[in-house]
This record gives sequence, C-alpha cells and structure tokens, in this order.
Amino acid sequence: MAHWDYISALGWIAFAFYTLITLVGGGLAVSSRSLVRAMVGLVVSLFGVAGLYLSLLAEFVALMQILIYVGAVSVLIFFAIMLSNASSNGDEARGSGRRGAVRAIPVFLLTILIVVMLVVYRVTGAGVPKNVPVAALGAGLLGPYTLPFELISIVLLVAIVGAVLLAFEKRGTN
Amino acid sequence: MNPLVYYQTVAVLLLGLGFYALVSRRTLIGMLIGVELMLNGAGLSIVAAAQLTPTDAVLGQLGALLVMGLAAAEATLILAIVLVVSKRFGNADADGPRGLKG
Repeated sequence: MAHWDYISALGWIAFAFYTLITLVGGGLAVSSRSLVRAMVGLVVSLFGVAGLYLSLLAEFVALMQILIYVGAVSVLIFFAIMLSNASSNGDEARGSGRRGAVRAIPVFLLTILIVVMLVVYRVTGAGVPKNVPVAALGAGLLGPYTLPFELISIVLLVAIVGAVLLAFEKRGTN
Repeated sequence: MNPLVYYQTVAVLLLGLGFYALVSRRTLIGMLIGVELMLNGAGLSIVAAAQLTPTDAVLGQLGALLVMGLAAAEATLILAIVLVVSKRFGNADADGPRGLKG
C-alpha cells in the first residue's frame, strides 16, 4: 500500500509540474508584447500539454503533439511572423490597453463558470488511465474510423491548395 | 475530487487563455496563437475524458489526432490569409481589413 502511495505522489508531482509549464507558457503566449516571445510561450505550453498526455498514458498522442504542433504548426506560425513585416519591437507594442481589460471580464466569468460547474457536478472518472497499444490505434484507423482518417487528408489537401492559391494571388488583378 | 476534474480544469484554463488572446490581440498572428491554445485545451479534454472513463480509449486518442490535423490545416490557411493581408495593408493588423467589396 505504501508503495502505491509513493507512486501516486510522484504522479501528482508530475501533473503539477506539467500543469505549471502549460499555464506559464500559455500566460506568456497571451501577454507578451513581442509576437516571437508569444510564440516561444506557445511552444513551452505545447510541451507541457505533451507531458500531460504522457501522464495520461497516451504516449502516441504525446509524440504526435510534439511532432505536429511543435514541429510543424509553430514553424508555420514563425513563417507567418517572418513574412508579415513584423516590426522588431513587437506588433503588439501598443498593448491591448483598456480594451483588453474590458474584454477579459466575460472570458474570466466564462472560465470561472465552467470550472465551478466541473467541481459542483463532480465529473466521475477512474483514477487510473487506460493504456492502449499503438497497434490498437492503427487498427482503429484502418477499421471503424477510416472515414474520418480519409476526410482529414482531404481537408489538409484542400487547405494546402487553398493556401497556395491565396499566396500566389497577383497584386493588381482585382 | 478525482483526476478527471483536474485535467478538465487545466483544459478549461487553456480555453480561457486562448479566448482571451483571441479577443484582446491586435494582430492576426496573436489571434492565431490564441486559437492554437484553445485547440490544445480541446485535445487535452478529449484525451482525458477518454482515458479516465470507460469510453473507448482508441476513439479519444484518434479524436485528439483529428483535432491536431484540423489545427495544422487551419494554421496553413491562416498563414496564407496573413500573407494576403500583409501584402495589401502593410501589416497583419486585425483592424486593417474592415470593408467588404461585393
């Protein structure tokens, strides 16, 4: 019994550590005046979420999180920052000001409302996550979930073609 | 209190952070960063709900992968939109394009 308590305490420490990384990175991503710093905050937050996936025993999703988000999506956003004439002292240098403070109120209220509902209605769940092998995920993709798998590839193709069409638009043709 | 509540709370906090970035940022790229945070919260919520309840865990993990694919497609499109907006207006300010031509 003491052995299990020890492991459980380690699990809580890992959870707290990853949560801290996630929320600190997210705060940096939201509040930083420089877009590049905000992106670095987002990358930190993505790593924290990957750690949370690991603590949920979803190791394949954690790897895909690092591969897709940190490897692909954040590089795309860095390209967007680079190609959009971002000034060196930060596009958000004026800050969000009073407008941002006013708009934070409904966001804050919504977040508090959902957290309170979560606590009050006591979502019930098992204490120990399930562990499915990656082979089961592959069998799921080729079995019952083939249609979403094919649809997401079509969505990606359409997005890529649309992005190329938009980006190669000639300047004075409209 | 069981672990699911804590994981869902972290997901909700990510949603709130992303939502705040979406409404308070001035540039399109800042808003995109907010959307990515919200999508991460969604993925975390899906995986936590599937791993910690009797639901099929394969369904949850593949759902999170689907969300990641959608996020990649969305980031690609927004990169193109940012390119077009910054070509026409000189910067990627969200207040730049405010008129419709039809």
